[in-house]
Amino acid sequence: MQVNETLNEGLKREFTVTLAAAEIEDKVQARLAEVAKTAQIPGFRPGKVPSSVLKQRYGDAVLGEVLQQAVNDASQQAINERGLTPAMQPQIEVTKFEKGEDLEYKLTVELMPEIAPMDFSTLELERVKVEVPAEEVDKALERLAENQRTTKPLESERPAESGDVLVIDFKGTVGGVAFPGMEGQDHHLQLGSNQFIAGFEDQLIGAGKGDERTVTVTFPEGYANDELSGKEAVFEVTVKDILATESTPIDDEMAKNYGAENLEDLRKKVAEQLGQEFEGIARSKVKRELLDKLAEGHDFPVPPGMVEQEFEAIWRQIEADREAGRSDPDDEGKDEETLKQEYRTIAERRVRLGLLLSDVGQKNGIEVTQDELNKALFQEAQRYPGREREVIEFFQKNPEAIGNLRGPVFEDKTIDFILALAKVAERKLTPDELQKELEAEAGDESASEGGEKAEGKAKKAPAKAKSKAKPKAAKAGDADESSEA
Amino acid sequence: MSRGRPRKAVETKVSAERIYEVIRRPIITEKSTRGSEHSQVTFEVALNASKPEIKAAVESLFKVKVTAVNTLRQKGKFKRFKGRPGTRSDYKKAMVTLEEGHSIDVTTGV
Repeated sequence: MQVNETLNEGLKREFTVTLAAAEIEDKVQARLAEVAKTAQIPGFRPGKVPSSVLKQRYGDAVLGEVLQQAVNDASQQAINERGLTPAMQPQIEVTKFEKGEDLEYKLTVELMPEIAPMDFSTLELERVKVEVPAEEVDKALERLAENQRTTKPLESERPAESGDVLVIDFKGTVGGVAFPGMEGQDHHLQLGSNQFIAGFEDQLIGAGKGDERTVTVTFPEGYANDELSGKEAVFEVTVKDILATESTPIDDEMAKNYGAENLEDLRKKVAEQLGQEFEGIARSKVKRELLDKLAEGHDFPVPPGMVEQEFEAIWRQIEADREAGRSDPDDEGKDEETLKQEYRTIAERRVRLGLLLSDVGQKNGIEVTQDELNKALFQEAQRYPGREREVIEFFQKNPEAIGNLRGPVFEDKTIDFILALAKVAERKLTPDELQKELEAEAGDESASEGGEKAEGKAKKAPAKAKSKAKPKAAKAGDADESSEA
Repeated sequence: MSRGRPRKAVETKVSAERIYEVIRRPIITEKSTRGSEHSQVTFEVALNASKPEIKAAVESLFKVKVTAVNTLRQKGKFKRFKGRPGTRSDYKKAMVTLEEGHSIDVTTGV
């Protein structure tokens, strides 16, 4: 085996590898001898087939197999000898091969960049801490109470008021034609709940029990059903009954209905839940900030092949979006070239952060435990209400799909690890202030132009995108391991 | 004092089409490959082919010299298909001995 380096440029290496014909021939013979033991050829007992016959029958197949293996072995040997760590599958291109002659091929490798993580303790970050104010909790409690409202028949007859629940039969037509879904019997409609088309409920206010009314409403433009959108409809409505609603007092009784011990307990739980929501927002904010800082602090070269792959993925997504008519308003009015340029920058950033995080995680022995994986699995399942079991079964049957869950968990843990090292300042905010800040940020992004926009986009993007880059990096890692084995 | 006269060798002529009728296919089995050590090649030949005919056919087809031809008629096996008796066709096997230095690669085909 002869290896010549023909290119050494950045992270790219190219080698020309020559395998001697005799070497290949030997391997073919050895392989044939193996085949001979089990080959079944009519006219011969197994294991008694002469090699000349075997060669005639299996020669080409064995040659192909041997060549592939020889090329793989040689490539790996070449890579290991030079102590290279490839970022992706090496590319192999056979330049010359003829039966009985030396095999010559070109081996192109992209190396993993040397990653020197910055000193994380110099990172200065700001974590927003949101206190849940008492009125927020009260509001939430009120909403809960409203959900529990009970209805009862009117004690004395009176015209319907807003807030009452009417039991109605209705039948509607548009231009004299009835459409499906425009008819109903014993429908419970709460006035003021805006369940029906705007104006429908208002026109029923003041109706008495047993009244028949004709309600004329106009379907709003852009109504789900095209035929009805913007049309005027006439509904014949019979009010069968009027039920008054009673608001539930916010007390221990209500709390018990929600599974809490008493009102105090429920209040605590609600506050906790609200707190968690804000916690989540705060976390993603600090994460975004951290990733920005990391991207600024590192500029190691990135394997172009990986960037290309990531870019392809993004671009496919964008094309799909565009076909579905959901193109990004920011992207309008820009030509293909500029767009590609922008997204390429994003792809590079993603790959770089992905590599960095996986490297930091590996060096610091961050692992994803089965427990954490299970937790992530259940969270994923909860995103599909009613089909949790199916989702879990799917993951149980597809171990590789679980790998996709592992990525984000690993990333989260790594980020936690870095956060623990970094200087994190805390800042207290009320929910309103947080809201304003987030809006201001969003405004900044859409306001900034051109190349800056790419950055702004990238800010949003990494959170969801890096999980994609990660499994790839992990895969590359796996390939390394197998090459050592 | 032998009364026998030296027999005149009769040239057997085989037409180009007849060659391919006479020689059906090589027989490649464990037994036949053992013959290859003594430069013998085995063919399945037409049932009505004679030894001189086979010799001429092999010589012209493979451009070799043949020293001897041995033949045998292999009777077809008796088989039953769905209870009905039947027989496989008979065939003639010819073991052709080549002159030293000549060989036929039976595995490559013509």
